[in-house]
Amino acid sequence: MRLLLLTVFLFSSLYGESGILEIRWPKPNAKHQKPSIPYPSVLTKGIKNTKLPVYLPTSYLYDKNMGVVGEKDFYTISFTLKDATLMVSGDRTYQESVSKNDPKFQALAKSSSNIEFIQEEGMMSVDFNRHGVNYSLLVECDNPETDKRCTQEGFLKDVYNRLIVVGGHP
Amino acid sequence: MKIVLIFILLFVSACEQKVNPKPKPPIQTHLGKKFTYYQAGQLRPASSGMGRQGDHYIYAPNIRFPLESAPAYINSQVYGIGGLHGPRGSLCDPRNYQYPWSDNYCETRTWSMPLCPAGTGHQGVDIRSSTCEKRKYYAVAVEDGIISYIGKYTVTLRGVSGRKYRYLHLDSPTVQVSRGQRVRRGQRLGLVSDNMGKAKTSIHLHFDIKQTIKIDGISKQVYVPPYASLVVAYKRLLQGRP
Repeated sequence: MRLLLLTVFLFSSLYGESGILEIRWPKPNAKHQKPSIPYPSVLTKGIKNTKLPVYLPTSYLYDKNMGVVGEKDFYTISFTLKDATLMVSGDRTYQESVSKNDPKFQALAKSSSNIEFIQEEGMMSVDFNRHGVNYSLLVECDNPETDKRCTQEGFLKDVYNRLIVVGGHP
Repeated sequence: MKIVLIFILLFVSACEQKVNPKPKPPIQTHLGKKFTYYQAGQLRPASSGMGRQGDHYIYAPNIRFPLESAPAYINSQVYGIGGLHGPRGSLCDPRNYQYPWSDNYCETRTWSMPLCPAGTGHQGVDIRSSTCEKRKYYAVAVEDGIISYIGKYTVTLRGVSGRKYRYLHLDSPTVQVSRGQRVRRGQRLGLVSDNMGKAKTSIHLHFDIKQTIKIDGISKQVYVPPYASLVVAYKRLLQGRP
């Protein structure tokens, strides 16, 4: 009985734990965070309460039609492109805390790449971790089978390479 | 400490095997035989790929079932009757609309999926609504949260738990929520359809769950198995307490 209780206790300490990730804040880049041409108000207002570094690609920074969902622990910003949508998101929460020795998650622990391009159901996405925060880029196409943005990595790689921190605060 | 833990786990596992030497039957039943389902990770047909067998962990506890009404059917779209790699016939064949359910998370795909035995596979599960009719059955929010993204044929709900739930193939004109809108568990999102932009798919809801897992201090986002969570949610729906 004691053994079972101990096991339950140990399991409960391994599973079900959720929380906030610790952020290693990047050195601020004044040019990016206070640009000569102010960012659209939809962006600055949308992320004013967001407590993680907000990355956006330089190519779309001044798109006034961007859709911004900014909360304390996450943000999602989407752009309407020709025949496609682009999403950029960051999230500082986690839902499970496990040991790398847990066989259930060993495969995940081994896939240690910090950036992963993933073909999805008609979409292309990339997940990466910076400063302890998890970010995603995703492109979704009107024609998912033939649009190269959704079948090859090139478009998202370019978006990824143009990311800069435009806001967020501790 | 870790060695002790492993020892305890092995010991408990050995005890359980002695106490309960018979494996569970492949098909589980609920409410008499009203609802039957294969266990998580048991893909049907077997040729559809290798599922994540033995993982019965409920990654998203207490979620509502993502379709408003029962019955609903989780089974393969691709390997089912009329599917791309399935037996010839109509996608609306009645045999696609009957129990038992079968998991299709990790079903054969070329997409990277570290939690699948093959390292690749389907990122969520496909759910058929009660009948083979589009624009008739509502998909609903599985937990309280905020609509974080609406794409060409995707609606993403970021739950208060931090999990991200994706609903694919909803009929765009019937989507009843907007980006940034807060929604309550059970709130209607849109009607199940076959929307995949200019590409073709069958009438179904693709539902997946993406969450962040912290592994000894390193965190990763991953599509987790939704099937076991959906079985529990569906039982609640059948019992009238969704």
